[in-house]
Amino acid sequence: MPEYRFIGKPADRVDALEKVLGSAMYIADYFVPGMLLARTIRSTLPHARIKRIDLSAALKIPGVVAAITSEDFVNHGRFGYPVEDMFMLAYERARYVGDGIVSIAAETESALQQAVDAAVIELEELPAVFDMTHALDPSSALIGEQPADAEGYPRGNLLNQYAVRKGDPAHELSTCAVTLEAEYSTMHQEHAYLEPEGALAIPESDGSLTVYASCQSPFLNRANLVKVLGLPEGRVRVIQPVVGGAFGGKDDLMYQISAQVARLAQLTGRPVKMILPREESMIASYKRDAMQMHIQLGADASGRLRASRIHALVDSGAYSSITPFTAWRSSIHAMGPYRYDACHVDTDVVYTNNGYSGAFRGFGNAEVCFAIESAMDELALKLGIDPIDLRLQNCLLPCDITAHGQKLGDDVGLAECLDEVRRLSGWQHKHPLYTSEASKAPIPGELRRGIGVAALFHGISLGAEGADFAAGTLEVNPDYSLTLTSGLTDYGTGSRTTFTLIAAETLGLDPNRFVMPRPDTNSAQDSGPTVASRATVLGGNATRVTAEQLSQLLNQAAADLFACRPAEIIRHGELFIGPGEEPASFEKVVDHARKIGLALSSRGRWSAPEISWSMQKGQGKPYFAYHYGAQVAEVLVDTGTGKVDVTGFWAVHNTGKVIFPQGAYGQLFGGIAQGLGYALMERVDFDQGYLQATNFDEYLIPTSMDIPDIQGEFVEKPFSAGPYGAKNLGETGLVPAAPAIVNAIANATGRRIRSLPANLERVLLGRDLRKEGSSTACKLGLK
Amino acid sequence: MKYSLLLNNQRVEVEAPGDISLLKLLREYLHLTGTKEGCDVGECGACSVLLDGKLVNSCMVLAAQAADREVITIEGVCLPDGSPNDLQQAFIRYGAVQCGFCTPGMILAGEALLADNPQPTRTEIREAIAGNLCRCTGYQQIVDAIEQTSLSRKEKKGHA
Repeated sequence: MPEYRFIGKPADRVDALEKVLGSAMYIADYFVPGMLLARTIRSTLPHARIKRIDLSAALKIPGVVAAITSEDFVNHGRFGYPVEDMFMLAYERARYVGDGIVSIAAETESALQQAVDAAVIELEELPAVFDMTHALDPSSALIGEQPADAEGYPRGNLLNQYAVRKGDPAHELSTCAVTLEAEYSTMHQEHAYLEPEGALAIPESDGSLTVYASCQSPFLNRANLVKVLGLPEGRVRVIQPVVGGAFGGKDDLMYQISAQVARLAQLTGRPVKMILPREESMIASYKRDAMQMHIQLGADASGRLRASRIHALVDSGAYSSITPFTAWRSSIHAMGPYRYDACHVDTDVVYTNNGYSGAFRGFGNAEVCFAIESAMDELALKLGIDPIDLRLQNCLLPCDITAHGQKLGDDVGLAECLDEVRRLSGWQHKHPLYTSEASKAPIPGELRRGIGVAALFHGISLGAEGADFAAGTLEVNPDYSLTLTSGLTDYGTGSRTTFTLIAAETLGLDPNRFVMPRPDTNSAQDSGPTVASRATVLGGNATRVTAEQLSQLLNQAAADLFACRPAEIIRHGELFIGPGEEPASFEKVVDHARKIGLALSSRGRWSAPEISWSMQKGQGKPYFAYHYGAQVAEVLVDTGTGKVDVTGFWAVHNTGKVIFPQGAYGQLFGGIAQGLGYALMERVDFDQGYLQATNFDEYLIPTSMDIPDIQGEFVEKPFSAGPYGAKNLGETGLVPAAPAIVNAIANATGRRIRSLPANLERVLLGRDLRKEGSSTACKLGLK
Repeated sequence: MKYSLLLNNQRVEVEAPGDISLLKLLREYLHLTGTKEGCDVGECGACSVLLDGKLVNSCMVLAAQAADREVITIEGVCLPDGSPNDLQQAFIRYGAVQCGFCTPGMILAGEALLADNPQPTRTEIREAIAGNLCRCTGYQQIVDAIEQTSLSRKEKKGHA
């Protein structure tokens, strides 16, 4: 491997200083003279016709300045990606508890509260659907707005269907020595970013608008604003302040909030800010989708996997958001990173009135990984084979052909991950020991140890979900610093540091010379959405290309200075060396470029390698490459209470070259922590459409006491299409954590939990205690 | 009403309503926005400040309760020249910062611990920050930063 100066070396985050000093500006920290405050009144019914809205009393309250409904937007504010089924404020129908209906701007919080109380919104309750397994019943109420074919269409709540097709698994299964058939389910999960959503719109004197928004994708935000406000693109500028976490959760709702404050700012001619209280954030925001998965696996007696047959059902909730893409990703990853003779996956995506689902770190893979990795463990038990051995025996290897018909490259490193995580965790000793301990009947209250493994693969970037490219710009400033921009944003992930290190390495310049301004649609280049672990490979490659272009310009200037050919220029640190001359500093080369009129700026763009997917055939090349990894969890289970302590955790991931190690470990540990929450405690419970937990006192996320010290390692097999051999890793730490933990619980107790989360009652009793739900928390939270 | 407090080692006086939280007083009336609001129910710790040296959730403290007492916010942790102190530097060096929203509260929780227990174990560090939620880091690098600061402070003390 080549030796790099900055890549893979210790580096500080470019944005850490302002964050530790407390001077970083998040959206709630903006206070602008003359600023109005805004709030949105939201539906307290899961499905309702909006019969009448009367805002006259609200508008008469002193200090109340303006109020808007869907009528105040072009085409009622219809938007959505990839399906346009949402509105900036609900139009005609409210489809979930928390659907915004009216937004109000006022001088003070108290005037705003009085206006909320005085606003008249008459709702007529409509039949709703809460059980995804009945969403497709002909008798179920129609939740989505299907196109013209909805009439008489027997499956009106069907949003999408996806398939993977290889061979004939039904036939294979009938001839397998060992088969497994089981049903797994996952719950919705709340992103629980520490910073709630917010936006500030400022009307400029020329009629244009500047919108500061705590969102993931400023360009998507601008595209939506342009559409619903009827303004030309050049008149709307979106700036992303420091974002306090997103994890996939700051798209659709943030576009609505942005449009609401933007329209209010347009109407009032004053800056308008809206910050969501935590309760409103939890009720109104989208979640990770809930899924049900039916899995059949078959193997021969030696443990060679032969067939898988999977049916998955995805609850998209009231709107599609990005669920068509997450569900497609679920479909592609449902069989896990294994070889099969035959494999069928069928995924149905349905509408219900359970809030709505959208992007969440893992993007459809966390759900199916829980199911397939649980099933693999159950199969290993049936076969009497060690779970890691079974995975090693069947896992994808370099140049294998996947169930989708894709020939893999030489970057595949899953077997190395499994071997290494076995060694690190002490599996060889612990697994047989804990297995034999579990075979004895427990003394009540006894503590039982267990160890579990899970593997993953994760397609890099959007895949066949969408156009995949990123762009960047670089410019040398008068003070010899360089301004670097990327259309892909950093909401805490560290991508700005990654891009800075790539630019510094490519140009041979010190990282401290680079400045990355806050993402701004006026200065950065559109690069599509910042989702799906796209930043390192897509944004990193775009940065590399942009830096290479600038490097050529610099060499051109140096060659002119030395009167030689650009190819003769040799670089040493920041020095430019020509044939037989004194080396020139970067500053001298820049000065010379200016003298000869050579502009030192570049724009680069990188498009992902060709991919293809046939929806009809269920075959193709869904992603250009995959990240692989394996994790092992060790648990201590209290057989008297059902309490599970995760006492050890090991993770080995095939990341390609790690560019920013501190950031890579941070992504890994943080992902695992979210996966631990998903495994054990995070439960977004919709009861009749009403969220049962609306703040951190009831929706528990892991604290520092819930997570052990994690040992992480990276298998840095270089990935030829990645910048400096890197792959992405933003989402992947989370994905296998839950099945590793649940497999460890099964190892400890001998009891298999097939529904997430593995909470006390499921661990202790093996079933759910039915609790009476209530609409109170939501109604209070929206008051 | 008129509030008077010793804020970040300076006597300040400010006019504000009587029924607001210390968090609101700091952010909206004293313009110190380093203290964050994450839940407003005392669960997340993003609004942590030191009140007479004790770690409190400022969303749960009435502004009036802070009258005439000493309050340290994140803005008061840095060195007199505005540069980061050793704990803040350790947060940068050990990767304890991602989105940064919990960071001010975490740093104050770390300072409160180290003032009280200069040589904490990793478990004691985890206990001390258990009231401060972080959704990004998995806490490990935060524990590293506090642990390393305690070691370097001990070393410095040893040399002094």
